[in-house]
Amino acid sequence: MKLLRTLLLTGCFGLLIVLAACDNNATDEKTTASDNSAVLKVIAGSELKDIEPMLETIKQKTGVQLQIEYIGTLDGAEKITAQQEPFDSAWFSHAKYLSLLQADKKLIQAQDKIGISPVIPAVKESLAKKWGWTNNPNITWTDIAAKVKAGELKYAMTDPTASNSGFSTVMSVQAAFANKGDAITAQDVDAEKLKSFFSGHTLTAGSSGFLSDSFLRDQIKLDGIFNYESELLKLNRNPALTEKLVLLYPKEGTVTADYPFILLNKDKAADYQKVVDYLKSVEFQTWMMTNTDRRPVNADVALGTQFPKGYLMDLPFPNNIATVNEILFAYLNDRRKPSHSFFVLDLSGSMEGDRIDALKQAMNNLTGDDATITGQFARFRNREKVTLITFNNSVIETREFDIDKNGAALQDIKQYVTSMQVGGGTAIFTALQTAYQQARVAKKSDPNRFYSIVLMTDGLNQDGIKYEDFNAFYVKESDYVAGIRTFPILFGDANPDEMQNLANLTGGKMFDSRKSSLAQAFKQIRGYQ
Amino acid sequence: MLKRLLAPLLTLLLLAGVGAAIYVSVTEQAGNTAVDSSSTLHEIKGVIGSEKEEFFRDPQTIAALAKINLKVTVEKSGSREIANIPNLAKQYDFAFPAGVSAAEKIKRDQNIKKSVQPFFTPMVIASWKPIAEILMANNIVKKRGDAYYIVDMTALFDLIIKEKRWTDLKANDSYPANKSILVGTTNVRTSNSAAMYLALASYILNNNAIVQNEAQIAPIADKLASLFSRQGFAENSTEIPFQDYLTMGMGKSPLVMIYEAQFLREVAKTKNSAIRPDMVLLYPEPTLFTKHVFIPFNADAEKLADALMNDETLQQIAVQHGLRTANAGALAKTTSFVAPPELVNVIDAPSYEMLEAMINQVSTAK
Repeated sequence: MKLLRTLLLTGCFGLLIVLAACDNNATDEKTTASDNSAVLKVIAGSELKDIEPMLETIKQKTGVQLQIEYIGTLDGAEKITAQQEPFDSAWFSHAKYLSLLQADKKLIQAQDKIGISPVIPAVKESLAKKWGWTNNPNITWTDIAAKVKAGELKYAMTDPTASNSGFSTVMSVQAAFANKGDAITAQDVDAEKLKSFFSGHTLTAGSSGFLSDSFLRDQIKLDGIFNYESELLKLNRNPALTEKLVLLYPKEGTVTADYPFILLNKDKAADYQKVVDYLKSVEFQTWMMTNTDRRPVNADVALGTQFPKGYLMDLPFPNNIATVNEILFAYLNDRRKPSHSFFVLDLSGSMEGDRIDALKQAMNNLTGDDATITGQFARFRNREKVTLITFNNSVIETREFDIDKNGAALQDIKQYVTSMQVGGGTAIFTALQTAYQQARVAKKSDPNRFYSIVLMTDGLNQDGIKYEDFNAFYVKESDYVAGIRTFPILFGDANPDEMQNLANLTGGKMFDSRKSSLAQAFKQIRGYQ
Repeated sequence: MLKRLLAPLLTLLLLAGVGAAIYVSVTEQAGNTAVDSSSTLHEIKGVIGSEKEEFFRDPQTIAALAKINLKVTVEKSGSREIANIPNLAKQYDFAFPAGVSAAEKIKRDQNIKKSVQPFFTPMVIASWKPIAEILMANNIVKKRGDAYYIVDMTALFDLIIKEKRWTDLKANDSYPANKSILVGTTNVRTSNSAAMYLALASYILNNNAIVQNEAQIAPIADKLASLFSRQGFAENSTEIPFQDYLTMGMGKSPLVMIYEAQFLREVAKTKNSAIRPDMVLLYPEPTLFTKHVFIPFNADAEKLADALMNDETLQQIAVQHGLRTANAGALAKTTSFVAPPELVNVIDAPSYEMLEAMINQVSTAK
């Protein structure tokens, strides 16, 4: 035995190498990594896509490849808490929601904050000058609210249940108006005050990047925007911006994104640590500050001149998930500007079978079938108007529903959707034009709503007017229909180019349900309505 | 090809005990010391409070332990959770929680008399020079010997309980925050440092006496609860608020309850230290120590207990990690920061039962 042991000890260095090689081989097959690097499966916020140019460098420096799946913050927190997919790490703009949602599950094994960006207001330079807001450290959320109330500040903000910049803004406003100095509850603030503040909300979006793009498109009609400091700095460098934005740091404070890189899988602690060490290194932090405008966490990296000097005042954040959700539901149902959402639905013959079933499920999820928290956020909201326009060879029927507190309209929608029958041809653009004509009329009589159109089709246009005809109609009517965006859903055999053109034309966004599911696409679009 | 042929063979060899041999080899490499291969390393496994993980992972520690033929593996856990691990003494050779209260409970449950306290660290409030100056102007903080700050906890709790805001303080031009004056802590349900803050607050609110029975808790329970609930969101582990302090600055963290060791360890870092000149520590008066209590479950672990208490190298490493040691009382030597060598007016933590009772009341209050 002793002989064997000595023998093995002397030879063991060689054995270790072989063992290591075997191990890597196994990793290759599972993850399709083409070399010897380890892999961390990461679920990350979509705003972190701007880190992608560094993924190769991260792999070279650490030997760890990040395999990233992008998702919204709240969706991500829910997915992690469900524990159905084996993620090793998570990387979001903040971990507060996840931390509250995990309760006693202890899913977060470790976390290290990588970058900093406060979510702040910005207004056009001419307005800032007029109001004496340039270089003024005493601007408060109350000052901002007063300008909104006076109708002088129409702003862009993302949906707080779909995107963290909107979420942080709503939490900031809630905390600042409560004027409590410490932890807030949903009841601390006068609902009318919040309603008044949100009446200035003119452009909405499901992601912070899309909000910036849409702001550029609609900048002439807008006065300000709430977004990450990093997004605003980027926006200010965009040559398409006609008037510079002045970034404001309200005196009461803001909610700040701190981008924690989170360890979920204990077994990957060593790889996690390697990545964290690199992400916090001077090299990466300098790159991040220069290229993504997030502030560094490494004190050895001097703060760039694009950032104002002085500290960032932080507003308190609720201490339990119930309060956070209550604030969000109150926002959706009672305080936000209501929406009028049009759904243009293809009931042609090709929808037969699984496709119509998927469509019915997707619609019914919005009436209450999806009981998850994010599913509840996506539901049709109190005070919302929903118009369903069904079509085949031509428009079949238009049905309008007024969502009320007691949920009766939700049952009506459900009943209607369940009874939908398929058959006949496909008149996509005739149906879409009908939707625009109706939206135009509705908007004229009730301008204080968000108007949007979802277009779901599984095939090519065969009947009625052509894309070109619709395009001409839209351009001709643009004074009246601008701001009413179309969100086409790519499904079945729909034409991706045409759908993308439609999104570009109207300022909407195409959702590819073939990559996820029809239900997922509908749910995501709710963030833009 | 060769790999494929070798794989099953290797598996067999591993079963025959190669695993242990390789393990020894790796340990030697990590420790970078020449250990006589004929002597055997005793492997022992313990469960520790997470704040000591870096100490046990330090290659210097591994080497120093190898010299006395010990190989120690550790699993980390919340100190207050260690007592609730089933079959604790069967699963592990030792427990090394932070906090006397938690240790007391483990010893009683496992029927163990022996324990040692090799390291301790005072609870401190991490703050900023401008904040310290405001608090000095308001007679909450004073400077002792021109070297470090002492915070009068009775006066500070008075402000906090009265729900004063930073803007209520006089001579405050540098921190005009409309926020309530609060000490930032972790989640009291999961983290020892928050429990220590609770212990300190309960002592002062209970008229400068350690809480000894439920009857003393009732009249102060609401006040204690408000210290935590009013903070809003709290993190689960002490590392995070300290990270926030280091990276987000004064706007987020004017006052944060931490272990002195966290700050000193950061100060002692030779590269990438995040300590800046305007960061200061406020030493509470009265204060309390978090004592790191080593509880051995068998003879091998007793050897480790002895080493932690008496091995000079290990004690020096602990000091580098910011800890104070029982014997030397040495402090990390740095030029940039002076820690008080001795602290007066140190109180004891309440018993495990009293602390748990208070935590339950505080964490269930809305």
